[in-house]
Amino acid sequence: MTVMRNDVVKALAKVTVQSDEHGLIPEYEVLVNLLPVSLLNTVTERLLAAAPERQEEIEAGLIRAAYECGYHTGCGIITSEIFNEVVMPMVTEGEKDILRGAYAAFTAWGWAKSGIVQLKEGQRMIIRAFDYYEADNQEGGLRAYMLRGLNQAFFDLAYADPYPDGMNTFVCKQTKGIEAGDAYGEFVVTKK
Amino acid sequence: MTGRKGSPLATPPDDKALHGSLTLTSITDLLQFLAASTRSGAIRIIRERENVEGMIYFDKGEVLSARAGEQTGMEGFATMLNWDRGTFFYLPGIAPLETTIGLPVQHAILEAIVLLDNRSKHEANDNEPVINEGSAYMEQVARESTDVMNDLLEISGIDAVVVVGRDGFVIESAGSSTRINIDELGASLAHAVNGIEEMGTELNINCFQDMFIEYGRAVIMCKPVGDAIAAIATPDASKLGIIRHKTKKLFQELALSF
Repeated sequence: MTVMRNDVVKALAKVTVQSDEHGLIPEYEVLVNLLPVSLLNTVTERLLAAAPERQEEIEAGLIRAAYECGYHTGCGIITSEIFNEVVMPMVTEGEKDILRGAYAAFTAWGWAKSGIVQLKEGQRMIIRAFDYYEADNQEGGLRAYMLRGLNQAFFDLAYADPYPDGMNTFVCKQTKGIEAGDAYGEFVVTKK
Repeated sequence: MTGRKGSPLATPPDDKALHGSLTLTSITDLLQFLAASTRSGAIRIIRERENVEGMIYFDKGEVLSARAGEQTGMEGFATMLNWDRGTFFYLPGIAPLETTIGLPVQHAILEAIVLLDNRSKHEANDNEPVINEGSAYMEQVARESTDVMNDLLEISGIDAVVVVGRDGFVIESAGSSTRINIDELGASLAHAVNGIEEMGTELNINCFQDMFIEYGRAVIMCKPVGDAIAAIATPDASKLGIIRHKTKKLFQELALSF
């Protein structure tokens, strides 16, 4: 037995979330909110357009923001009651299965239809995604900054030192992207 | 060699008899067609260039015996399945003097494919390069999984190819099947393979290698490729033998990507 993605997606899709009077949803030990994807993409576009000569720095900043968010929220997800209830009973392959469950959760909540293609424990992981925040952003080149940060965060949570000491152990590179004309987005996580 | 005295084996039969080129139809397709129509007789095959001759004798859906050059029985039958250039002639009513195979057509094809697999494994071992320090040998660059999957789709009878993670995540798919929802297939396959692997572990009979599921409206064949599972969908089982043979190397290539 391993984590069955479809079962996780179906179970999590039934969960209802309620935001407070500020529009914030207290879930996974953090506060999340519900905003249109276009907001993030517009912010990205404006930042890049504002200082094209500093593109590398801006990209690094966007990835870092996603990474920090992913690291703390990711820890909240994999230690949450619902994850414990739905995913953990199917875990038989340790961290590998926890990562499978995490990507199923990702899909269930509409963050990215993504999953693991290849995983060498503690060393390397390849992720494919068919639908993600920046997929429609055809302004030029590979731009899935959000998923790059999140993939790195998830692998750090699974294989680096225990939370919160395992930050910055791995790095994620994007090798393909829907926004760049490929059929899917592909991401490779390796040791820094 | 045959039971019909004076049969014209040295020269092709007259134009009214069923004959044709192996570039247009394969021997397995031909045999399956003749078996389905409960014909009896022999197929005479002349392989181009080498001018080697072979005979396959069959009776109402059963392969009785075969000969390809000097090879007889299953060895000869398997050799002929690999011939893709040449001419065949259907000779009705001819019976062999002895039965060296005696298996239903589908079963005989599968046996022959296993034999061909073993032969190619031996050949691969014999041809494996010795890598010494400073050797010029370099590992071949793996093709993209998309290219390999498109090659799989070229095989006659395959409607769709899908690669699924062990958790049921549909990693990649090519082609389309009107009979099967690919996303549902991913989830179902992961469940099925998990169950089958658990059974293999319980029975201590090693990992699963192949799985064929025949439904009323489709046949699904799947194999492990690396850490994932590859599945192909075909409308029926009539071409399963040749599909299994032709997909073998492509599945091995696909495993390099997963």
